[in-house]
Amino acid sequence: MPAFSARGIVVRASSLLLAFERIALMGLMYLLTALILVNVVTRYSHFPIYWIDESAVYCVVWLTFIGASAMTRLRLDFAVTMMTERLSARHRKLAKIIATGMVVVFGVALVITCFLWMDPIGLARAGFDARKLAAETFNFLYTERTQTLNWPTWVLYLTLPIFAVSMTIHGLANLLEDLELVPRTPLKGFQLSELDGVN
Amino acid sequence: MITSAAFIAIMLVGVPIGLCLCLAGLVFIIASGNPVLFQSYPLQLFGGVDSYGLIAIPLFILIGEIMNGGGITRRIVDMAMAFVGSLKGGLAYVNILANMFISSILGSATAQVAIMAQIMVPEMEKKGYDKTFAAGLTAYGGMLGPIIPPSVMFVVYSVLAQVSVSDMLIAGIVPGVILTTMFCIAIALMGYVYNYPKADYQTPRQRLATILRTSPTLLIPIVIVGSILGGLGNATESAAVGAVAAALVGKFWTKEFRFSQLPQMMLRAGVYSAIVLFLVAAAAVFSWVLVFGKVPQETAAWIQSVAKDPVSFMLLCNVILLVIGTVIDGIPGLIMTVPILLPVATEIYHIDPRQFGVVVVINLVLGLLSPPVGLCFFVAAAVTGAKPGKMFMVTLPLFGISCILLVLLSLYPSLSLVLIK
Amino acid sequence: QAKEFRLGLITPNGHSWNKAALKLGDDLKAATNGRLTMTVFHSGQLGNEPAMMQQLQSGALDMGFIQAAELGSRVPHIAAINAPYIVRSTPSVAKFVRHPAAIKLFEVLPQETGTIGLGWGITGMRAIFSSKDLTTLADIKGMKLRINPTPVYRDFYSSLGAAPTPIPTPQVFDAMANGQVDGLEADLEFSWNQRFDKVSKVILQMNAVFMPMAAIVSGRVWQSLPAADRELITKTVKSTLDTQIDELAGNEPKLIENFKNAPIPIRQVPAGDTEAVIAEFDKVWLPKAPVLAELRKVGATL
Ligand code: NA
Ligand code: NA
Repeated sequence: MPAFSARGIVVRASSLLLAFERIALMGLMYLLTALILVNVVTRYSHFPIYWIDESAVYCVVWLTFIGASAMTRLRLDFAVTMMTERLSARHRKLAKIIATGMVVVFGVALVITCFLWMDPIGLARAGFDARKLAAETFNFLYTERTQTLNWPTWVLYLTLPIFAVSMTIHGLANLLEDLELVPRTPLKGFQLSELDGVN
Repeated sequence: MITSAAFIAIMLVGVPIGLCLCLAGLVFIIASGNPVLFQSYPLQLFGGVDSYGLIAIPLFILIGEIMNGGGITRRIVDMAMAFVGSLKGGLAYVNILANMFISSILGSATAQVAIMAQIMVPEMEKKGYDKTFAAGLTAYGGMLGPIIPPSVMFVVYSVLAQVSVSDMLIAGIVPGVILTTMFCIAIALMGYVYNYPKADYQTPRQRLATILRTSPTLLIPIVIVGSILGGLGNATESAAVGAVAAALVGKFWTKEFRFSQLPQMMLRAGVYSAIVLFLVAAAAVFSWVLVFGKVPQETAAWIQSVAKDPVSFMLLCNVILLVIGTVIDGIPGLIMTVPILLPVATEIYHIDPRQFGVVVVINLVLGLLSPPVGLCFFVAAAVTGAKPGKMFMVTLPLFGISCILLVLLSLYPSLSLVLIK
Repeated sequence: QAKEFRLGLITPNGHSWNKAALKLGDDLKAATNGRLTMTVFHSGQLGNEPAMMQQLQSGALDMGFIQAAELGSRVPHIAAINAPYIVRSTPSVAKFVRHPAAIKLFEVLPQETGTIGLGWGITGMRAIFSSKDLTTLADIKGMKLRINPTPVYRDFYSSLGAAPTPIPTPQVFDAMANGQVDGLEADLEFSWNQRFDKVSKVILQMNAVFMPMAAIVSGRVWQSLPAADRELITKTVKSTLDTQIDELAGNEPKLIENFKNAPIPIRQVPAGDTEAVIAEFDKVWLPKAPVLAELRKVGATL
């Protein structure tokens, strides 16, 4: 398989993304723990920091979607296996391909809904003027700010289009593996055990 | 109709449940002929996890990771052994008691079964217990995990139900203790019938030494449960402080925790919490489309026509949830049923949402211990090599006891609410 | 033609805003012989207020009862209605929100938020529930105070020397019982339902701020409605909100009586203390929302 083939690019992009996601997940967990501990200390010393709760919440939101993307590639998730485990090997493989295909379908659909929602073309047409876009299309996304951090909300919402794209790429990489068009890539840096459940 | 058909079809093919919920949401929007909803779709996904209560979940999972790396589990088992080891069926009591202590540190049933089965089952086998019984008993011990605080399931429930996370966690304490006691009574009876072996005799001096040596590990449950119950902080803060306590005990008392392990622990906690949290986000989208399609309202009308009073409603819920629990795992089950059943429970039958939460969660946890998708049995089987189906049969008395507890909890709200201020 | 409206709001069943929403649906149905109907989505079933705003803007949701805090965080001009000491009693609030000056605030909504404002509903004047003794504004200094995190309130309570702490609504009772905060500010109706008096030592009626709600309609939906329907809806919303306002203001004496029967004291802030606070607040907010000057003038006449 030539390194620059479309398949190769997808698998490599997916591995690269996963490496980023790994670092981001660790970083967000450290950040979250630190934020909550700082909150405890500052509140008990009568200097509560106003924006900490909101930061911690957005930290968890980013953790969710970055982690959800990573777990797609790691093939970790709750799925109902009641029917598939009773199928013959050939049919089971087919079911697997359909299931992985659905990941790609969802990824693409989410890219589309993000496109409708964030309307990058409309924004460019409005000369990147948030108020002009709002006046023309009733889309006020780029004029909003968060309540206590006072950040533009669209910056925080970016996790969704990122998730949509990375999930599509991971889904494609998984699909290529399931179709046996590429060999299974060992995924580095995640020492996860199938036994560690999350209930 | 189209939505639920699509949902069931892709779920059976093995599409992850979170994605099934998301995809069903998209199908609904297409079927409703209201494409303007597509624009709101990503924001609903975001809004599903944009909630303060959920912050506790990554922290609870982190505590489990740190505790496991710090050799704390083993010491808790030793302590339970020093207390009850020399009774008839001693190791069976040790199993349940150690599970109860560990429940007060871990937020998850399956994680707890995975950890405890590795320690308890070989030990029990050595002493002459049947392996299947040992593994099955450990799986039931793990059931205490999401009932005694901390509990990821209760956190998810309290976010869905918009009740205080701390209240919800506290509500699990009394039912958890009752269940432990009932399990112990059952073991006493079963031990008599099946003639369970005794454990090694320990002199009082040996016992005292063990208890003294292991008691600092109790600091962690004391910090977690104590700060929630005593009101020093909210559930999220107690989780963060509990993580620090676990790291300190692991570092300076058991000396098995190394800070170089921390990045991997953070990573695992991050991935596992994302699995839960993404389900919550997906459920938000799904319940949003359901609400738009007025499904909860129609279900409520149907239930009202079947159940005439709160008691029959609660019993009906028990049956529905037990059936759902047998095919669907705990958190997805919670996410799919609470948005529909809870409004009916509180608005029509005036049931306390916290009592309802206790019943729903225990119901779904019991589902983890019943075929065909009994996740806890599968975990115990994977660790020990015992057969899941046989495990269910030998532990049938424990299943019966759990059902009795559910009926009691459905009939007497005070069992759940007594410790809440 | 026939139309089924969807109305979303954040408050739970039983709240006076929810009763108003249900009444609005009934009245519309009655007035049109069932041609116009309405489904009410309460308790944030369709998402929190930012999510509802987005659905109003896209036209997925037809109407909303949205708190001034949410609109004010988008438009400082609207935030002016949350400013302290515009009026000083719930009966004055009831008059103020129906004054043309308050209604005129809605003029910026279409351009700034893509929605149409039809009228205000209210909650009563907010009070501080405190676990330490309070008699004057000066006593608030150094308190950890749970507030509604709208920028106006933050500035106001900070200027009193409190450390504002945003805590999500379901956790407020706990936070107070646990001593995570020394006090909280809320309206009396909500406080009675939550029984904040059980975790407090004293209630201080601030008579400073109130949190009204705006009945708004999606701009997109509004454009699509025939003029006659618009007129009918406007009229019906107005009369529904009139009822809500009058009932809420009328119920306040009874609420205060309830709190007076609780074993903790309920006190009023001495009126003289407020001039410096107003001056400091207006220094920051008049440049952001010049309309505040007019609102104060109107408020003083009520
Ligand atoms: Na637990
Ligand atoms: Na099951």
